[in-house]
Amino acid sequence: MSAVLTLSSVTKSFGGLAVIDDVSFDIEQGSRSALIGPNGAGKTTIFNLLSGIYEVNGGQMILDGVDITDIPSRDRINFGMSRSFQNIRLMPHLSTVENVMLGQHHLATSFKDIFYPIGFRPKNKWAEQARAALSDAGLDTYSGQVVSELPYGVQKRIEVVRALMSDPKLLLLDEPAAGLNAAETSELQTLLEKVSASGTTLLVVEHDMNFVRNLCQHVVVLNFGRKIFEGTTDEVGKDPQVLEAYLGGDASDVA
Amino acid sequence: MSAYLTGLIVILCLNIIIAYSVFLPAAAGQLNLGAAGFMIIGAYMDAYLNSADDGLGLPMLLSVPAAALFTALIGFLVSFPILRTRGVYMILATFAFAEIVAGIVLNMEVVGGASGFPVSSHAELEDLLPVTIGVVLFGFYLISTRFGLAMRSIHDDESVAILFGVNARHIQVGAFTIGAFLGGLAGALYGHQFDYIEVQNWGILFSIFVLLYVLIGGTQTPWGPLIGALFFTFVPELLRAVGDATGWELIGELRFAVFGAIIVGMMVLRPEGIMTRTFLELLFRKVPQRSPQNPPNNMEGV
Amino acid sequence: MLIAQQIINGLMLGSVYVMVAVAFTLTIGMLNFLNFTIPALFMVAAMITWATTAAGFHWLVGSSLGMAVAIIASLIIERFTYRYMKAKYGDATEHALPLVSSLGFLIIFEHVVIMIWGTDPMSFNSPFAHAQFSIAGLIFGIPQLISLALSVALVFALSLLLKKTRLGRALRSIAEKPDTATLMGVDVGRIVPVVFMMTGFLCALAGILFTINYKNVSPYIGDHVATNAIAGMVIGGLGNIWGAIAGGLIIGMVEVLSIHFWGAEIIKVPVWGLMLLILVFRPTGLFGHTRIGKGKF
Repeated sequence: MSAVLTLSSVTKSFGGLAVIDDVSFDIEQGSRSALIGPNGAGKTTIFNLLSGIYEVNGGQMILDGVDITDIPSRDRINFGMSRSFQNIRLMPHLSTVENVMLGQHHLATSFKDIFYPIGFRPKNKWAEQARAALSDAGLDTYSGQVVSELPYGVQKRIEVVRALMSDPKLLLLDEPAAGLNAAETSELQTLLEKVSASGTTLLVVEHDMNFVRNLCQHVVVLNFGRKIFEGTTDEVGKDPQVLEAYLGGDASDVA
Repeated sequence: MSAYLTGLIVILCLNIIIAYSVFLPAAAGQLNLGAAGFMIIGAYMDAYLNSADDGLGLPMLLSVPAAALFTALIGFLVSFPILRTRGVYMILATFAFAEIVAGIVLNMEVVGGASGFPVSSHAELEDLLPVTIGVVLFGFYLISTRFGLAMRSIHDDESVAILFGVNARHIQVGAFTIGAFLGGLAGALYGHQFDYIEVQNWGILFSIFVLLYVLIGGTQTPWGPLIGALFFTFVPELLRAVGDATGWELIGELRFAVFGAIIVGMMVLRPEGIMTRTFLELLFRKVPQRSPQNPPNNMEGV
Repeated sequence: MLIAQQIINGLMLGSVYVMVAVAFTLTIGMLNFLNFTIPALFMVAAMITWATTAAGFHWLVGSSLGMAVAIIASLIIERFTYRYMKAKYGDATEHALPLVSSLGFLIIFEHVVIMIWGTDPMSFNSPFAHAQFSIAGLIFGIPQLISLALSVALVFALSLLLKKTRLGRALRSIAEKPDTATLMGVDVGRIVPVVFMMTGFLCALAGILFTINYKNVSPYIGDHVATNAIAGMVIGGLGNIWGAIAGGLIIGMVEVLSIHFWGAEIIKVPVWGLMLLILVFRPTGLFGHTRIGKGKF
């Protein structure tokens, strides 16, 4: 198996304070991986570096053979990576299907694609593709509704569908299960398993260790911006360094 | 139709066009307090091209589109510096732009300077009406495209839109430039309706009112500027009529003050404008379709 | 010599702009709110001063009444623009709402005044019309001189208040981060009206001094003075009180000197051209802060 994402010696500091310190890891093609660690460990910062919201101070990020370290954030989606957000970042005044169609944006390159009235003429490939994706995720009943009015769990899943529309090789999910109840969590897990089965690599930041154990095989643990462990989901609870890192917080999280 | 009503509809049409001019950048999250600037450029350019004595003597059919295109070009050029600014700075920068335009035209003797400039050809309401309808349809069309989707995404969350590959700068420049085109169009048409143009007609109050049309109407849907312009054109007249009918003259005399109070009240009751996405959904939603067996090609509200 | 006289006149005029510019800069700096009721407050105070004096009362009665009305009006405005929105939508600066409401108030005030007194400019019979002295051929109007001194002294006092007092610290903590300010025990609901009272006070004082110095009032004077004050604020940098002083005085001088050299009509081009350049290339102005006013509308 080859790596779809490689981080080598990535470093980021804010005002002289290193938040990400020499972090390296590989994510295998088609795998389901998790990035975990106590609060403030730098997990979301890694995501923000990957999606280009922050620039790295050092190191390299290789996505599917392409060095994306210096590529502007707007273009990174073209190389096969998209993401969801820790706090829902759907467009509140757009309908569900419009939000999902935003996920297709970088695929619409021609003049005709940009100026085709996708809203007026419902029988066009963009809208139909978006509705099909919503229907696959069991969300088709919501497609015409404005998202700000929808339940939290539904919005979380819409975010995943939107991220999937760009046809990513690597899907970054920032705390997808946070704030969901048990039923919503299992719906989300079903959706993610479906996504993974279709060949998309998942990289998840998550606090809910049960969710991680159920979904992922491979775990990277960060603490204070450093990688302290990398291995399988089964090994992580036995690693003394990981236990140590979590002891300050809640050891039962990992154990 | 009475002359009063015709005059009112002429004003309504011009208000609608200039409202769409400010709406387009506003739908992409950019507040423009410089509507007067575009209006002045369009009106004077058109009057100059159209004038047989002092200008080129082009027919209206050529001079109006040419003036609108010229305004669009100016809008395109100034959009680069202006779109570098944000928030309050953007409001102030567009306002400064309008004041500079007014100041320059005021000192251009070739178009009459402070004493105004006569417009040769006269157009009737019958000429204005189809253009206005065209502008409204264009507004609806543009919002329904992927370009419009990108505009509204930038309005809601610019940084996320960028992560999904939206070139925010291009979209904003595009929206601002098309807005400038419509502003120039409104200015040119104004001249042909009233036969005389003066810079003094388009001061800060004009720009404020146009921005209010858009914000009161709502920036989320293309209905917003239409409803805003209708509201701003008819409510003061309605108040006057009520004053006349009841014999309570104070209402008529105070109609603009009452109108100001309505604006304040509107912000309390409908802070996102009269027409919002959720309100639209409420109006046009068919019988609630909640069953999961729904065919996926249901097309409501797309 | 003529130039020196023009510079003096410019500074005198600028002192009026300074007070209005400080009012703008306070609300932008602290609340991130471009308060368009400022021209209305200025104009209302000026008109009331004129009307009361014209009705035969002492000018002090008129100006006190104008001051009181402006401050009360400003507090009412606070209720409907900032406070209401804040309570309902959290950080009100995320919305254009206070801006729209303040424009609504501007329309209300101007038209009420127009209904009562009409649109014609009125002349104010100043009790100090001839109170002036000359040094080396330069004429100094005493009321103008007093207003210049007063505006500088006032702003100095204001900046001391912001730096040294408990109230000032509370105000500055709101400017820094409204949410944290609440956590730190600052009662935002009671402090914000203070900003609006200051706004009303500064605008009214500027309006009264303008009336006494320039002896002319109309329902539209507020617009002219406020737009120049905005330009002054931008030059000084949004949110900076000392910047507003410098900017207001600069605009006063630029206005008087441009009229002297090139006539009144061209003045918009240099003033607003300069302002646009500053907004685009140096949005912090002379002394401003990068963070202020960038919030989404």
